[in-house]
Amino acid sequence: MTFKKYEGSTFQLLSEVVSKAMEMASINSREIDGLLFTIIPGTFDGKANVHFPSFQLSSFLGIKPKYIDVIDYGGPSALTMIYRAFKLIEAGEIETALCVVGGKGSFLRENRVTADSVDKFYNISLTPFDEFFRVYEDMNPVTDYALVAKRHGKLFGTTDEQRAMIAVNQRKNAMDNDKAIYKNPITVKDVLSSRMVSDPLRLLEIVYPVDGFHAFIVSKHQRNSNLRPIRIDFYGEAHWTEMPTEWKDIVYTPTVESSKGVNLEKIDAYELYDSFTITVLLEIEDIGLAEKGKGGKFVENTDTTYRGEIPINTGGGSLNVGQPAFMSGGVILEEALLQLNDMAKGHQVKGANRVLVNGIGGWNRGHAVTMVLEGE
Amino acid sequence: MFDKIKEEYLSLMEKEKLPYTKCKTCGYVFFYPRDFCPKCNSRDLEVKISEGKGKVFSFTKFQGKKGETIYGIVELIEGFRMYANIFGDVDIGDEVVVSFINDSGRKIPVFKKK
Ligand SMILES: [Zn+2]
Repeated sequence: MTFKKYEGSTFQLLSEVVSKAMEMASINSREIDGLLFTIIPGTFDGKANVHFPSFQLSSFLGIKPKYIDVIDYGGPSALTMIYRAFKLIEAGEIETALCVVGGKGSFLRENRVTADSVDKFYNISLTPFDEFFRVYEDMNPVTDYALVAKRHGKLFGTTDEQRAMIAVNQRKNAMDNDKAIYKNPITVKDVLSSRMVSDPLRLLEIVYPVDGFHAFIVSKHQRNSNLRPIRIDFYGEAHWTEMPTEWKDIVYTPTVESSKGVNLEKIDAYELYDSFTITVLLEIEDIGLAEKGKGGKFVENTDTTYRGEIPINTGGGSLNVGQPAFMSGGVILEEALLQLNDMAKGHQVKGANRVLVNGIGGWNRGHAVTMVLEGE
Repeated sequence: MFDKIKEEYLSLMEKEKLPYTKCKTCGYVFFYPRDFCPKCNSRDLEVKISEGKGKVFSFTKFQGKKGETIYGIVELIEGFRMYANIFGDVDIGDEVVVSFINDSGRKIPVFKKK
């Protein structure tokens, strides 16, 4: 559930979302014995941090977990939570897990900072070498991804128009999605005439931070739920823990590694992390839909709408749904599950049975998770 | 060791010199201070002074607090890369040189078009 601005408290919003998820899964909070979550600074009622969130969240939701896990990869956390919940259930450690990701984006948004620049609002340190890194004027993560887009253009001739195509096609997918906040059709020209935020990235290429949570319940019991049993057909994660300046080049992401060995043959839809248009372009290359440098040509020549040959971000992605608390992982995972349950009203890929979800994020976009979900 | 390297970096910067670290075991060079070599894990490191000359690896322009601002990555001739603000109308591949500005009571390295 996402809102441009939710007027109640973050805890109230959390409660609403979790109640709805429990209802869909036909279960009550006492049947949950595993809690996995992600919280990033500044997204809980404007406070820098929730004090001991493992306790506060369990206590507030009335959960008595046997297992608690905090995953802080930012963007891709949602995917890892689901995977670990599956593994815990498989191992017999727990029976039912609640996975929660989100918070409020509006507070930091209104104070003109992001999750990557909270140090400019709260008196907190972000890295061991802030003195040599956080002293510069930036607008991360926008400026950081702008550096990537700029270099991608210089090395491979990728054009602004090609990146704009990604925003245009995702908007087509969003037009009939109830969850989307942006639904009116846009053209390449609209994208290219929107405000330049950080050259070459323009306003319509950048996610809008919103308030919202996603709650996913993973259980070994079907109960009275009519949701389809789902299995994880592929899972990979990779962590590039050096600064991007020390990577071979900034035009690669750890997705190169997390997606190694994935079979793209029978994928019906791709839900690719879309903090920016360039993020999607990088993933198209790094998962192997196109060679490195050919992502621009790929988006130019491929119908990526939900009715097209290679559907990408079938519900419009977080570019159109909004990015809850600076993390898009919940948005893309929810869309994948809706597709697999034939519940993606107005943007359903016919007979979707295998969906690839890819997340990138965390500090310095150093974490990537690739997952293929399949209906049983 | 880490604190010592950091201190050395800071005092060199106060003298308007740009430090970097070189691994004495494998020769790898890097900017962000750590007390081990990220390539070979050796702890035999030395802090060196860069000539301060390099090329723009990538850059972006945005509206900062004082108008148009450039943030970028510079690749120094010694082989390491670092984030910094850049001054002047640059493109990727352009030659830049280090320069120091006063910021909150200390000197920080930025780059200018050559
Ligand atoms: Zn070494």
